[in-house]
Amino acid sequence: MNRTSKMRRLTASGVAMLLVGGLLATAPANAADPITLTMWTRSVTAVQSQDMVNAYNLANKGKVEIKLTVVPFTEYLAKVSAAAAAKNLPDILAANVIDGPNYTRSGLWLNIDKRIKKLPYWDELATGHMASALYQRKYYAVPHVVDASSIYYNKVLFEKAGLDPNKPPTTLNQMATMAAKISALGGGVDGLYFPGNCGGCLAFTLFPSIWAQGSRVLKINGDGSFLGSVKAKKVFNVYSKMWKAGTMAAGSKNEAGATQNAVFQSGNAGFALLGSKALGTIKESDKLKIGLVALSGPDGGTSTFVGGDTIGISSTSKNPDAAWDFLQWTLEDKQQIDIYASKNFMTSRRDLSENKFALADPRMVLLNKLLVNGQSPYAPRFFQTFNDANGPWILFIREAIFGNGVSNELLAKLNASLAG
Amino acid sequence: MATANPNVLSRKNSMRPSRPKRGFRSTGIGWLFSAPAVVVLLFFFIVPLGYSVVMSTKDWPLLGPDYPTNFPTNYTQISENELFLNSLFFTVKYTAIISVILISLSLGLALLVQEGKQRASGILRTIYFLPVVTGLSTAALLFLGFLNPTIGPMTRILNLFGMDPDWLGTPNLALTSTVLMMTWRFAGFYMVIMLSGLQAIPRDIYESAAVDGANRINTFRYITAPLMKSTFSLCLILILTGGMVAFEQFYILTGGGPDNSTVTIVMTIFREAFSQFEMGSAAAMSVVLLIALVMMNILQLRLVRKDESGDTR
Amino acid sequence: MIRSSIKMAISILLAIFFLGPILWVLWGSVRYGDASFSFQNFSSLFIYGEGISTYIRNTLIVVIITVTGSVIVSLFAGYALDRIKFKGSKLLFIGILSILMVPHASLLIPLFIWLNKLHLGNSLIGLSFVMIMYQLPFSVFMMRNSFESVPKELDEAAMIDGCSRLGIIFKVLMPAVRPGIITVGLFAFLAAWNEFITALILLNDGSKFTIPLMLVNLVRGDFGSVDFGALQAGIVISAAPCVALFFILQRYFVGGFSAGAIKG
Repeated sequence: MNRTSKMRRLTASGVAMLLVGGLLATAPANAADPITLTMWTRSVTAVQSQDMVNAYNLANKGKVEIKLTVVPFTEYLAKVSAAAAAKNLPDILAANVIDGPNYTRSGLWLNIDKRIKKLPYWDELATGHMASALYQRKYYAVPHVVDASSIYYNKVLFEKAGLDPNKPPTTLNQMATMAAKISALGGGVDGLYFPGNCGGCLAFTLFPSIWAQGSRVLKINGDGSFLGSVKAKKVFNVYSKMWKAGTMAAGSKNEAGATQNAVFQSGNAGFALLGSKALGTIKESDKLKIGLVALSGPDGGTSTFVGGDTIGISSTSKNPDAAWDFLQWTLEDKQQIDIYASKNFMTSRRDLSENKFALADPRMVLLNKLLVNGQSPYAPRFFQTFNDANGPWILFIREAIFGNGVSNELLAKLNASLAG
Repeated sequence: MATANPNVLSRKNSMRPSRPKRGFRSTGIGWLFSAPAVVVLLFFFIVPLGYSVVMSTKDWPLLGPDYPTNFPTNYTQISENELFLNSLFFTVKYTAIISVILISLSLGLALLVQEGKQRASGILRTIYFLPVVTGLSTAALLFLGFLNPTIGPMTRILNLFGMDPDWLGTPNLALTSTVLMMTWRFAGFYMVIMLSGLQAIPRDIYESAAVDGANRINTFRYITAPLMKSTFSLCLILILTGGMVAFEQFYILTGGGPDNSTVTIVMTIFREAFSQFEMGSAAAMSVVLLIALVMMNILQLRLVRKDESGDTR
Repeated sequence: MIRSSIKMAISILLAIFFLGPILWVLWGSVRYGDASFSFQNFSSLFIYGEGISTYIRNTLIVVIITVTGSVIVSLFAGYALDRIKFKGSKLLFIGILSILMVPHASLLIPLFIWLNKLHLGNSLIGLSFVMIMYQLPFSVFMMRNSFESVPKELDEAAMIDGCSRLGIIFKVLMPAVRPGIITVGLFAFLAAWNEFITALILLNDGSKFTIPLMLVNLVRGDFGSVDFGALQAGIVISAAPCVALFFILQRYFVGGFSAGAIKG
């Protein structure tokens, strides 16, 4: 496996060199000059991207050098927009999964459908990621980083409240009951810390509870939603009751994302709803020992929002072959296991999820299991509708949880936004 | 210069750099000295602004094979943008509040620490100036933590006094939090401008005013305030336009919340560009804002100028 | 006596208001997990990305060009706008002020496209010129005010002595407008030192990034979550030079020059 992949890589870069030489016919093609590729990723995937790039540069010393630029994720789209308008995109361009449709529709990425389908494991690539990179039946990107939402709980507070830290809730209603017990401890301790003013976070953490009941959230082509359904309302009700009962921290209503990890890290919250990457950033202490459990439906079932990043070759790249060589290299067994799995990152391929590293950490086993029935919602106007801090989703969901319940008027606005 | 004149008020006039007197009529030399500024203005502002105006006449998505002209659609659509219209009133309200607070507080601070003799003044000056050295978005992030009931100290301190404000939770408190942060971040900034204005007032005017037995209020009213007019004008223009184009402070601290109650004009422009990917429409909104603000400032400069000429001539 | 103790009380209350969040920053910067005193937050700053020395060097390049450029540009423009009566000066002044009235966010994409055409895209020099442009309204207005407060008799006397305009500016007026120059320079320094969004959009290359870009990358995580320990350490590190600079320069802002000294 290793040898063939190395061979393949060599041939690919050889072809790339030839092509580049052909393109730069006026300049004498100097085989000693390494190809420089530029690559942008969002700050939230900095660690994974940097590790991959470093390893690739080391393995291809003298032939190809990738220059990685990490861009703060909040400004990532602004930066990409500016570069796109100036036709000045990097060779390799990563994207938040949910932004995939925006990229493909705007022609930011090169069509790499044929190349992808030549990969022996192409149908094992993370499903949601691939769906987001599909446009007019062609694939434009591959998975780069896989993330999944789940329930985090504080084992220290579990013990204090007389709960068994090894028996986390299996339904959303159970979580509410346990949170109430933890909240009753008082002394600044709250049951649940909830990102009540962060649209992206709420889609990430509430949709799975709807999926867990076997229900859809968005229409198949993403131009409308079922957020007014009975099953969706059941989910909102659980949280709404927790808010009214005071089991949710008071700061939850205003939480726009910035302080949520810090609050959970302070050890004052029994539960938080976070992504797999928080595992690597939140520091444990006397007041916090982290436990993980799947997001569930009100009465059972589990699911997860498969998030993360996809990565493609920009449509203005002058070195698409060299860029592809890097992309396919990151997906190979060795890199997925040695670089991702060994550091507790989730793999981009389903067939590699049960690797030796993942099997050794029960939390990773859980996350990987979740992926099987996890989903990534597809909607061309997902970002404009759900992530926009002043958009329709945030108004709708805040009214549903902190206000008077599901408002048909706000739901209509949300669906209108999805329809475009 | 006018030490023989016992009348403080007339001496003030003789010290005043009166405009009619600077008589070098020389257009060429004027532009020659302004040339570096003109180059910067032209190359880094006027040209990009021109691009922006062109963008405002086009349907300009994130990346398209082409950007078709759709004038005047981007402009006519502004009147249908509910968020933009609501943001107008809020932005004006915020600007009014922050202007009053910043002008009076920074002047107060400057007067409080302008005496350079005592070591205490030097330390106080530095303390009041400290927040200015943080970037605006950093300051906003910092306040987000500072005001957070779980990880910040503010709520716990206020709890001791029996208060429990929901800082970012109600429209009024969200506005208050932002005003508080902006005051913290900018009072020292304007204090320094005020100090440089005060510094330009010759010391002997105060000395002779004291000899003449003028009290503090009169000294301020008849000497300090008139001589500080151009400093006030500078501060006022910076604060008023700064308020009207307010963005980061709300974007980070309140995110426009709760429930879109603290959305400013520039937030709607930013959203149009970078959440909705309608660059053309965002450009049109900025052009409208620019025209409104230029008119506001011409008016303000006229008022200041008129006042000034009435005063000195 | 009463007056001065009231003044003291007010000064101290204000000091608490301005110091409070700063103290919280200092306290938080040295806390890490269970440790109540640790430099862990700081050490993560030093090992990030290209290493802090690269980011400091880049930032210094931008700061030096911005400060020098702002001072030169505004010194001459301020002099012209106050001392020389010329056609179009009002238009120029309004033009300069209008920079304040365009949201930076809507200039960024045009600037990016245009700077690429000027071959100043992805360059620290290009960024510095944009920073000089941002600072232009403040710098020019400030210098115009500074010249305005210097008595005209000074120029006239020098003119009679046969001094050229440049001679007047540098030999006669310079000492009198020094607080203005210092203010322009200081604020240009702070603006260039702290600029985030413009630097981010204009610079494409991670090795050209400035300190604020590094800090934001380091501090902000998933869904905007903030690592407050790193944020606080970052504030301490990046604010320290600015505070020191102000402490040194503050004597130039202090109340009332003596008119006689300048005349003599």
